[in-house]
Amino acid sequence: MMNRRTLIKSGTALGAAAILPAGFGATAIAQPSRPFTFCSWGGALQEMEKTAFIEPFFAERGMRFAEDSPTNYAKIKAQVEAGNVEWDLVCVGGQWMYQAKDQNLAEPMDYSVIRNDDLADDWKAEFGVFTSTGATVVAYNTDAFPEGREPKSWADFWNVEEFPGPRSLYSRMHYNYEAALRAAGVPADEIYPVTEEKVRLMFQKMEEIKPHVAVWWSSGAQAPQLLSTGEVAIAMAWNGRILDAQREDAPVAMTLKDGIAWGNAFIIPKGSPYKDLAMELINYAISEEAQDRLIPMGIYAPVLEKSAGKATPDQAGQMITHPDNIKDAVIFNDEQSAIYLDRYEAEWQEFQLKR
Amino acid sequence: MTTAETSREQKIAYPIHRAGRVFATKLASREAIVTCLLLLPAVLFLTGGFVFPLIKLFTLSLESEGGTLSAYREIIGSEVFRAVFVQTLILAVTVTVISVLLAYPAAYLLSRLKDGWLTLAIYCVLVPFWISVLVRTFSWMLLLERNGPVNSTLMWLGVTDQPLKLLFNDLAVHLGMIHVLLPYAVLPIYASLLKLDPRLLQASNGLGASGLQTFLRVTLPLTAAGVAAGATFVFLLSLGFYITPMLLGGFHNLTVAMLIDNFVNERLVWPLAAAASFILLFIILVILAVAARFLSIGQMLVTR
Repeated sequence: MMNRRTLIKSGTALGAAAILPAGFGATAIAQPSRPFTFCSWGGALQEMEKTAFIEPFFAERGMRFAEDSPTNYAKIKAQVEAGNVEWDLVCVGGQWMYQAKDQNLAEPMDYSVIRNDDLADDWKAEFGVFTSTGATVVAYNTDAFPEGREPKSWADFWNVEEFPGPRSLYSRMHYNYEAALRAAGVPADEIYPVTEEKVRLMFQKMEEIKPHVAVWWSSGAQAPQLLSTGEVAIAMAWNGRILDAQREDAPVAMTLKDGIAWGNAFIIPKGSPYKDLAMELINYAISEEAQDRLIPMGIYAPVLEKSAGKATPDQAGQMITHPDNIKDAVIFNDEQSAIYLDRYEAEWQEFQLKR
Repeated sequence: MTTAETSREQKIAYPIHRAGRVFATKLASREAIVTCLLLLPAVLFLTGGFVFPLIKLFTLSLESEGGTLSAYREIIGSEVFRAVFVQTLILAVTVTVISVLLAYPAAYLLSRLKDGWLTLAIYCVLVPFWISVLVRTFSWMLLLERNGPVNSTLMWLGVTDQPLKLLFNDLAVHLGMIHVLLPYAVLPIYASLLKLDPRLLQASNGLGASGLQTFLRVTLPLTAAGVAAGATFVFLLSLGFYITPMLLGGFHNLTVAMLIDNFVNERLVWPLAAAASFILLFIILVILAVAARFLSIGQMLVTR
């Protein structure tokens, strides 16, 4: 499918290039036959991004846009390397900004266009901007753990005596590194930088919990599903997915205490014909007007402090960026995680293979 | 199949007569041209859609930063990656053995059935074959989950008082894969059983052989090609399985296909993915070469 499309698209691109005289303005060349395309992870997150950022932006301009999902890093690489970019704005995990930088796959952010000075610098990076935040949390089945006896931290997750039942963790190394170290009692602000010693401690904690992990999930939708069917009692999960499951009255709950906070980043694949428009869209996504819309949706929290401040106490309680929650949280460091993912991937797979 | 059919026709139509033979030669050369023309679209399609990408993939496998063969060196040199290859091969072997053992009696029964019962039985084999692998894999997840029907039945029968862990382990992977691959074993074995001349069985019986002796010394040897064909199909397909072990397997059920997925999608090290694909392809070709020494692959395919 990819091949066929690539062939057709490269054909039209070639045709366009032949017709247009050299030195023609960049915006004039950037009029491909397809509409601006936004790609994200699907589910509640993409719905939220579409409603809060993408639709209002294009409605104002009276333009069409298209959507695709889920984000796939290999597809971005293939599109960029084939010189045929089909996604103009992509929602990625933060650490991918560093992979994209290494492999030269993304456009550097143009901070003369993206100019909201109210946004804290933490959310702005060389190759992407965070537009919403969420957290990796301890979630549980409410039948297994009624109110008052629920797990409240990663230490509780590792405590199989007091909190019995099968567990579920994410199958990749990131978030497990942070969770295992928190369970081992490493303070939130000492999780980084990554050191050999901390990685050893992580593997030791992972070996300890491994016999109790019934499922290692690989997609965000799995965790709430495993919890609500009772396949597992406690799971690592993305908070937005749990909120979404709660709306469908699934017997699941979570704690934002001890969460691992992260952001959803917007990047622009290198060579996008709509690069300039994508920059403007990112600028719009971090505007107060757009960020405000995230609050009533209650899925992922705004990055803009001004907007976060407008939440009611009830709404704020569900946000990882709320002062009460963020004070104990680990702020996931994308650059550091790229380091351990690069260095210890083989060892993680070895850990995975051991029965 | 076209060539095989035409040559058989010629043998029947022009057995002895000299004039006929000359005519046959002329006809054969015309037939050869027609055959070539008929094959041309498939050859062009395979060249463009398979051989060319394969060559591209091979050059990609040589484009590692560390030097021409470094991707191959990294995979073969890594204990983890070798373990994944071995694990994938063992899984393929066990799935193949169990599939063939289950398929033979089923095929034998099929070859004995007539009319309405035969149609019904054939549909029982074929209908699951037409349903998407993904749907069947998900169905297994629903059946085997902790609070699923299998566990509740076992608990109701008093076999167990706690739900058993049926999902996300080797058992579930084998169940799922055998379920998907069984028709690939049943059909060639069934075809070889149909070709079996019933008079041979009568002769064996007439000469005083017991049922078991007849089976072991007449039926089994004469259907060995069908068994080998079925086993080869199942084995080759299971080497590349991805969805089923991914969804039904546990953390350690890592297959080569999943490793390649990790290289392509997560780590973005495409030369490694290409090299892993070629190592798998090489293993498959070696196995096919060994298998071909014992049986004619062409005949196996015609048997179907």
